[in-house]
Amino acid sequence: MANLLWLQGGACSGNTMSFLNAEEPSACDLVTDFGINILWHPSLGMELGDNLIQLLDDCVSGRTSLDILVFEGTIVNAPNGTGEWNRFAGRPMKDWVKDLSAAAGYVVAIGDCAAWGGIPATAPNPTDSEGLQYLKRRRGGFLGPSFSSKAGLPVINVPGCPAHPDWVTQILVAVATGRGDEITLDDLQRPKTFFTSFTQTGCTRNMHFAYKVSATEFGQRRGCLFYDLGCRGPMTHSPCNRILWNRQSSKTRAGMPCIGCTEPEFPFFDLAPGSVFKTQTVMGVPRDLPDGVEKNGYMKMTVAAKAASPAWAEEDIFVI
Amino acid sequence: MHPEDPAEAVRESIAQILAGGLETDWRLRADDSERFHAVVKAIRASDGELTTKLRLAGFTDHPVPHDGFDQACESCMYFQVHRGWCVLPELDLPVRPEWSCNVWRV
Repeated sequence: MANLLWLQGGACSGNTMSFLNAEEPSACDLVTDFGINILWHPSLGMELGDNLIQLLDDCVSGRTSLDILVFEGTIVNAPNGTGEWNRFAGRPMKDWVKDLSAAAGYVVAIGDCAAWGGIPATAPNPTDSEGLQYLKRRRGGFLGPSFSSKAGLPVINVPGCPAHPDWVTQILVAVATGRGDEITLDDLQRPKTFFTSFTQTGCTRNMHFAYKVSATEFGQRRGCLFYDLGCRGPMTHSPCNRILWNRQSSKTRAGMPCIGCTEPEFPFFDLAPGSVFKTQTVMGVPRDLPDGVEKNGYMKMTVAAKAASPAWAEEDIFVI
Repeated sequence: MHPEDPAEAVRESIAQILAGGLETDWRLRADDSERFHAVVKAIRASDGELTTKLRLAGFTDHPVPHDGFDQACESCMYFQVHRGWCVLPELDLPVRPEWSCNVWRV
C-alpha cells in the first residue's frame, strides 16, 4: 500500500480532470489493482476543516507515511513572498508544500504549472508563481535546485497543459509499485519514457512536413501545421502522437497546431499579440527550427524537398 | 488565351501585368512576422482585384536575392509545385516558379 496525497496550488484543475479520465490504468485501477491509497485529493477527499488539517499534520510529522506527494498548479508566492494569496487548511499552501515535500518519499509535479510555472508564471506573473523545482527553464523553483525527496529523486516533472492522463497514472503506478528507481529523467526531470521523442513522432502530417506542403487553415487535413500555423511539434518533447488522447486523436491529427505545452517556455512568446498559432519568422525562415536543424541546412532541405514533392502531397489523401 | 487551362491564362495575364511595369513595394520584404501579417492584413482588407493583390504583395517576375538566398515562388512554403499555385489564402493565385513576392517564406 502506498499513500498518495494530491494538492492543488495556482491551478485550473485541468490536470485533475485529466487524471480522472485516465484509462490505462484508470484512477480507480490505482486503488483497486495497484495498492494506492489516496489520502486526500481536492475532488475526491472526504476530510474538511480540522480533520483535513489533522491529516496533513500527520503526513508532516510522519505519523502517516506519505509515500507520494502529487502537486498540481503553481506555488503562489504573492503577496511579497508570503503566499497568502493561496491559503489552504489554515496556512499558505506553499508552507504545506515545503513541509510535506520534506516528508514525502516521492514528489511528483503534474502539469506545466507545478513543473515550471506555466501560464500563471507568464510575464508579468502577478501571483509571483513558480514551479516546484523550476521557474520556466531555470532550475531552482520553490524547493530549490538541491532538493531531493526521501527516495533520492528530485521532483518528477510530468508536464503538459494538461498532462495526458496515462502519463500521470503510469508514473504513479511505477512509483507506488516500487519501480521508482527505474524512472530515468531527462535534464528537465521529465520521465524519458514519455519525453524523449517529439510530438511530431507519429504525426499523420509527417509526409507533408517532409515535402514542405503547408496547411494554411485550422482543421485542414492536408498539409503540415509547422510552416504557417505555429505548430511546435518538431521541437516539443511529448508522446502526444504515440499515446493518443481519448485513445484516438491528437491536436495535430485534428488540425490543431501543437502549442508546445510540455516545454518550460510554454506559453511561448509570453502570448504576445500575433504570436499564437502563427509561425514566427525572421527573413522568411521560422524563428524556431525543428530541434537540431540549422538554418542553412533547413533552407537546402526545403529547396530539395519542394523539388522532389510528388503530386499526391498536394492532394487531400484522407478520403472519407 | 488558354481555354484548355484557365489557370495558365491567369498566369499569362499576371506575367503581362508584371512585364508592363506594375509598381510594387517589392523591396519591402516581410523580414519578420509583424511585417508579414501587415501585408496579409492589407490584402485581406483590399478590393481583392488581381492587380491590387500583386501590388500589395510586391510581386516580381523574377526571384529576389535576399539574405543570401534567392527568394522565388518555387521554394516558398505556399507554392504548390504541381498545381503551380500560391495557396496563401489571401493570394490564392496561379503563379510561376520563378516569380517572387514579399511574403515569401520557407
